[in-house]
Amino acid sequence: MMKTILAVDDSGSLRQMLSFSLKAAGYGVIEAVDGQDGLNKAKLQTVDLVLTDQNMPGMDGLALIKALRALKNYKDVPILMLTTESGDDMKAMGRAAGANGWLVKPFDPARLTEVVKKLIG
Amino acid sequence: MATHDTPASERLNAQVMRLLSGVSAHGDQHLAEVERDLVQMDVLLDEAIKKLCASFMAIHHAVDRQQEALDALLVDGMPSTESMARFEALRGEIQQHVGAAVTGLQFQDMTSQLIGRMVQHLAGLRDVFGALDTNGSVLPESNNEALLETLGDISDRVGACCIVRAGGVRSTVNQRHMDSGDIELF
Repeated sequence: MMKTILAVDDSGSLRQMLSFSLKAAGYGVIEAVDGQDGLNKAKLQTVDLVLTDQNMPGMDGLALIKALRALKNYKDVPILMLTTESGDDMKAMGRAAGANGWLVKPFDPARLTEVVKKLIG
Repeated sequence: MATHDTPASERLNAQVMRLLSGVSAHGDQHLAEVERDLVQMDVLLDEAIKKLCASFMAIHHAVDRQQEALDALLVDGMPSTESMARFEALRGEIQQHVGAAVTGLQFQDMTSQLIGRMVQHLAGLRDVFGALDTNGSVLPESNNEALLETLGDISDRVGACCIVRAGGVRSTVNQRHMDSGDIELF
């Protein structure tokens, strides 16, 4: 069965490139435009992995992770941050919120799918 | 700190200096951020264009060679193991170049983030100048206490609008090269 990934980013071009890269690797992709949209879509369908940006209008990535981790279905779902933020403080906050990994933009499609494969097969 | 025991002229001087240094500091802060983001954006755009041009040319050459291999195959009829391997290698090569182009395209997103930050800083600067506006009221000519009060209000408004703006500005983008970013699994 095809694994589904929720890609949350306020940049349309970034979502397009994430979608292109992940679909080429055989994954299904649901796109969300910000944290709140991501949370709404995650509630409608439990996905296999969440990939989220940090800086977004309204609900940011950290707030989304906290909200997802509070949901029963998302206690063990891998969540990766994909962001331009590379500071140790932010990484520590991401980890504390419940992120499983930190990817700094720009992403390389091959390396991204490698990490995703490692986490969800 | 000036008090009511201090002569009004000294308090007036102090208030004017406070106002001027506030405007100068906040204005300088916003402009320094805009300058920094413009320099960063210049670096990113330059690198992105170089990378995208290189990827485009590499994809073009690989597709050309794929077409040549395809033409040869059409002439030969049955594909040999060698030509199948060549096709596979070309497919991998094209994927690699497309991947590099995808990495390069993401710098548009980063420059867009920088432009957003610059717009916020320029709006902050506009707020600072807006706070200097006395709403058409005339500064008192002979009443130092009233003048002090007016200048104090303006200084407070300048300070307040800077605090408000500081909270809403997004982090900057620090990448200075076109390699993909680090990956860390917790």
